[in-house]
Amino acid sequence: SAGPRLRLEAALGFLLVLAGAQALVPSHRLAAGDLARLRAVLERPFPDVRAAYHSIVGLSSLGVRVADEKAACKFIKSHVDSSSVESLFYAAQSMQVLSGCEVTISNETRELLLAAVSEDSSVSQIFHAVGALSGFGLPLASQEALSALTARLSKEESVLGTIQALETASYLSQQADLSSIVEEIEDLVARLDDLGGVYLQFEEGIETTALFVAAAYKLSDHVGTEPAIKEDQVIQLMNAIFSKKNFETLSEAFSIARAAGSLSQNRFHLPVVVVPEGPAAVSHHQPVLRLQVTNVMSQLLTQVSVKLDQAKSVSSKATVLQQLPFTLSGDFFELNFMNVKPASGYYDFSISVDGDKRFIANKVELKVKVSTEVGITNVDLSTVDKDQSIAPKTTRVAYPAKAKGSFTADSHQNFALSFQLIDVNSGAELIPHQTFVRLHNQKTGQEVVFVAEPDSKNVYKFELDTSERKTEFDSASGTYTLYLIIGDATLENPILWNVADVVITFPEEDAPSTVQSKNLFVPKPEIQHLFREPEKRPPTVVSNTFTALVLSPLLLLLILWIKIGANISNFSFAPSTIVFHMGHAAMLGLMYVYWTQLNMFQTLKYLAILGGITFLAGNRMLAQKAVKR
Amino acid sequence: GGTAGRLKALDAFLLYVLLTGALQFGYCLGVGTFPFNSFLSGFISAVGSFILGVCLRIQINPQNKGEFQGISPERAFADFLFANTILHLVVINFVG
Repeated sequence: SAGPRLRLEAALGFLLVLAGAQALVPSHRLAAGDLARLRAVLERPFPDVRAAYHSIVGLSSLGVRVADEKAACKFIKSHVDSSSVESLFYAAQSMQVLSGCEVTISNETRELLLAAVSEDSSVSQIFHAVGALSGFGLPLASQEALSALTARLSKEESVLGTIQALETASYLSQQADLSSIVEEIEDLVARLDDLGGVYLQFEEGIETTALFVAAAYKLSDHVGTEPAIKEDQVIQLMNAIFSKKNFETLSEAFSIARAAGSLSQNRFHLPVVVVPEGPAAVSHHQPVLRLQVTNVMSQLLTQVSVKLDQAKSVSSKATVLQQLPFTLSGDFFELNFMNVKPASGYYDFSISVDGDKRFIANKVELKVKVSTEVGITNVDLSTVDKDQSIAPKTTRVAYPAKAKGSFTADSHQNFALSFQLIDVNSGAELIPHQTFVRLHNQKTGQEVVFVAEPDSKNVYKFELDTSERKTEFDSASGTYTLYLIIGDATLENPILWNVADVVITFPEEDAPSTVQSKNLFVPKPEIQHLFREPEKRPPTVVSNTFTALVLSPLLLLLILWIKIGANISNFSFAPSTIVFHMGHAAMLGLMYVYWTQLNMFQTLKYLAILGGITFLAGNRMLAQKAVKR
Repeated sequence: GGTAGRLKALDAFLLYVLLTGALQFGYCLGVGTFPFNSFLSGFISAVGSFILGVCLRIQINPQNKGEFQGISPERAFADFLFANTILHLVVINFVG
């Protein structure tokens, strides 16, 4: 029926809207430590031209120059293989990055490179050739290269090939119509795997994903069209690429460095990362919330404006602050939250970063903790008479002093404690998570902990009635030290306060005979393993007797048969008869051998043979008998 | 006589099988079930053989010739042997 289905669709639609409303925030980026590790891998000495390319171009993506550029230039010039298009590509791209590294290209080399740009070469070869020609500053027929590339792409379907095609197109002149290549970006995005809504990567791995990001933005910058990658997808790609913290190969480090470079410097999408200084917590001593705004490479962005859209209390859902800008102080954006005198607890901050329309993930949610100090007031200790004949005796104690004298709790009187908890800074009443009353037996080391509960006026009360509580105490009478424990995540000063001594007396008959301290950590009694006892067997005499007994009917049978006069005179010595009887006997013998030695498969094999012979012979024999009849 | 003699011999065989089975059962009741698989194997051999023997007896009895038109006594005997082979294959497998 349409009714329930419509409702289901509406519900699904509503859920999707809710999901979309939660903007995705980056969970991974290149923090300072990650950058250092990446640089360390890229700055290793390179053994060949390919490694040189990865190091030099990778470092330049991070904005770092190679340590000794002259030595690098010399190395490349001496190690390049002029007969390999790939080697020339690495050399050309590296030399472009190094300052003052020039080389003259021979006509031979130029012809080699130009010849490689054709439909007969693989996408990879076209990519290397075009990149080399561009890197050396040699002229290149863009239209020809584009048609060769497009023709080749339609034959090769690999992800890496398509990524290389994207980068190749970024070397071609803008006059050529690169739109068919640009469309490949969208197709590649469709091939990404979504992992839990947080990561987006190719099944080929993170290196391929990083190379895709670098190539896509390089091409998009070149043609001036925004890449067909949605904001959330960019963040998911970022999460995937920068989730790798250990870079196994140089090429992997190179790809991640290039992706980082792309995402921090392109014309369209700049992911923004908001990092609070330390834990996002403020208090009276530390009233200022300090944030840093960086790009994916942890480079500070200071030409931005950071604004608090709103701050809502998690518990009361009330908005305490709205539309307040952060002030820039040095490297940090600051906001003094304590100015509005918030109550202690957690607050959801909605922060937005503006300043460049390329920013993405620039609206973040931050959970900020406001801590305070707790004060205990109106602490009253009293002994209340059960019969209510005598007025309760109340003593007031002030924290952190200990009450003088001791209090008693026995069958006639109960012990009671009441107190209030306030926020020292604002005077408001507090309800922390942990309000415990701990009673510690001085002699036996036993301790019992109770929870003090607040009443409707937020006054905490605790009452000890010996008849109700004797099971918790194991009826152990004696002097107990009373402690008050107050704690909470938002309290800066958790309290452990020795309030008083209480002498508790339980009725004599319930006292345990020996007070055993339950020590859980002594060795337990050893368990002896009981092996499975074999089944009880009857004595051999009994079983032998019964064996003989069970065989005795056979004797009886023989006697009976002789008496009946079973005639074997009709036994004809025809060959089929003999074969039948021998075969049958053999089958019985096989049964015995099966019992003692063989398994089912072997037996079935032999049985098939013997059975076949016996059957044929028996068939002949019985037919002859039937004819005689 | 010839025919009655044949049936008498079969009856003697049936008695033998019956006694063997009964004695096995008596042992199990009196002494114990260990080893249980051997007891089951032997007992089922006795019971199965008895049943197959009774079937053979019914089929070769001349008085029942009307009921078994297509089955000659020779055919009945061959069936008896075949069924017994399969039964005892299983019995030997199980006796342990």
